[in-house]
Amino acid sequence: MHIRLEDRTPRPAPPTPQRKEEGEGPTRPDVKRPDNSDLLRRMRRVDPDAARRYRQRSGQ
Amino acid sequence: MRMMGLETEYGIAVEGCPVEELLDAGMEIVRAYPGPHVALWDYGPESPRRDLRGFTAPMLAQDPEDARYDRADRPRTPVEVERSDRVLANGARFYNDHGHPEYATPECRTVDDLVAHDRAGEGVVLAAAEAYESATGKHVRVYRNNTDFHGATYGCHESYLTRRCVPLAALVEGLTPFLVTRQAFCGAGKAGIEDGGAARPGFQMSQRADFVVVPLSVDTLYNRPLFNTRDEPHAPAAELVRLHVILGDANMSEWATAMKAGTTSLALELVEQGWRPPVAPPDPVAAVKAVSREIGLGPLGALSATGRWSAVDVQRSYLDAAARAFGGRDAGTDRVLREWTDVLDDLRADPESAFDRVDWVAKRSLLRQFADEEGLDSVDPAMQSLDLAYHDLHPEHGLQVGLRQAGAVCQWVTEEAVTQALAAPPADTRAAIRGHFVRRHPAELLSVCWSGLEVGYRGGRERIDLGRLAQADLTRWRERLARAVDLDETMTIMSQLEGR
Repeated sequence: MHIRLEDRTPRPAPPTPQRKEEGEGPTRPDVKRPDNSDLLRRMRRVDPDAARRYRQRSGQ
Repeated sequence: MRMMGLETEYGIAVEGCPVEELLDAGMEIVRAYPGPHVALWDYGPESPRRDLRGFTAPMLAQDPEDARYDRADRPRTPVEVERSDRVLANGARFYNDHGHPEYATPECRTVDDLVAHDRAGEGVVLAAAEAYESATGKHVRVYRNNTDFHGATYGCHESYLTRRCVPLAALVEGLTPFLVTRQAFCGAGKAGIEDGGAARPGFQMSQRADFVVVPLSVDTLYNRPLFNTRDEPHAPAAELVRLHVILGDANMSEWATAMKAGTTSLALELVEQGWRPPVAPPDPVAAVKAVSREIGLGPLGALSATGRWSAVDVQRSYLDAAARAFGGRDAGTDRVLREWTDVLDDLRADPESAFDRVDWVAKRSLLRQFADEEGLDSVDPAMQSLDLAYHDLHPEHGLQVGLRQAGAVCQWVTEEAVTQALAAPPADTRAAIRGHFVRRHPAELLSVCWSGLEVGYRGGRERIDLGRLAQADLTRWRERLARAVDLDETMTIMSQLEGR
């Protein structure tokens, strides 16, 4: 397998398609961060030893 | 777009079940799946040891550490019993892969379909786990992740159909820099670093990078490669290759799932057209680990001989070439190009701004916030438990599921599309035929595999070859099948399709 070690000079970047105002894109949340009180409650309920006990068979 | 698929192995924690018994638990969970299915998988055509380099490996490497969990007193179970394959009405395959319920999406031609069917897989695994809980009284937790933090890993594999005339060397040279660096936006994040049995605290982008050992190999169970050379196209082998990517993480963010598949397909298309990247990591295995652990996203010596390139720079080189070659071609491609542009800009300017899309950013932010609130050290062992909880699919316990419920993360598809994908195959691929038979003629099906079906018909066995339909747009044929009133009409349509 031939992998080149040298870098090539990158070509100038062309313009990329612009985001449209609406439609097609993923649904973006309205806020930068959610109300995290529910998440903090969830995190506090996590058993701190859960990962220590978690064992799986090795898969693919 | 090309035909694509995703296979996700889920982690499970079953009340009262030690790791030595997970093979049986995984089997029982799959068998508990209550939805419509047939259990007729044909293993005959499978060839996981065939290598793209032109030989067949005598055997696949096995993980000796994992073998410690094999109980000598466990009765030898036939493969069809242990795997317990289910073929679902949406054309998907659901089975037990070495103690992991695994959902393989039906063949999809668009990123939207792929994401919807991948999300539908979460519903399938949860439905099976709930049915198992009801039957046994044992609680089950299902995790969409890739690590147990103790040396075991399990995969989320991607399949991309490509042409055999593209040389393997071109695929490896053309895709390696991309595969090494795409984790910048599709890494699932991991609390902790594992290095060949030694573990240490830290946070990295990827769950799988720790387990990449060699540049390329046919193996998937041990000594895992960055580039998997399994040659099993499930399609006419003289013409087609299924690029089998085993490097990727199982994403909780459906945006990340979409972009993982969408950008990889575009990068592959560039390589098919002869484009080559401007940079080559001197040691790709070292590079994938270095990128994962250098979450500052700065220039990395491991990515190029000059050391001037960052992961974002490398991705930008692919994006620029893809925008030049494919921009404006269709709405799906433009959507991927736009999102690719935005996320690379965001990662360069302020990675935290990708919280709503990129799993490793969201996970790191949640862990940091919790550590601050609770006065914990960022390397506290509890961080790995929170990492695990990020991947918990339970609607009341999962952290990323909580983000979804709060509307704090991007959705790629609607919940209606996910519900639809649970019931019906993609309309335009051969999965539509597989799903039609599972829904309408399960009693007549004799066997099923990716590339064909056998049907009991008029006292004989009729084989339907789906292999040569691997690239066909079957939308019109699916519409005809949907109107078929009985098996006679279905078989007439299939004859016409095969003879077209």
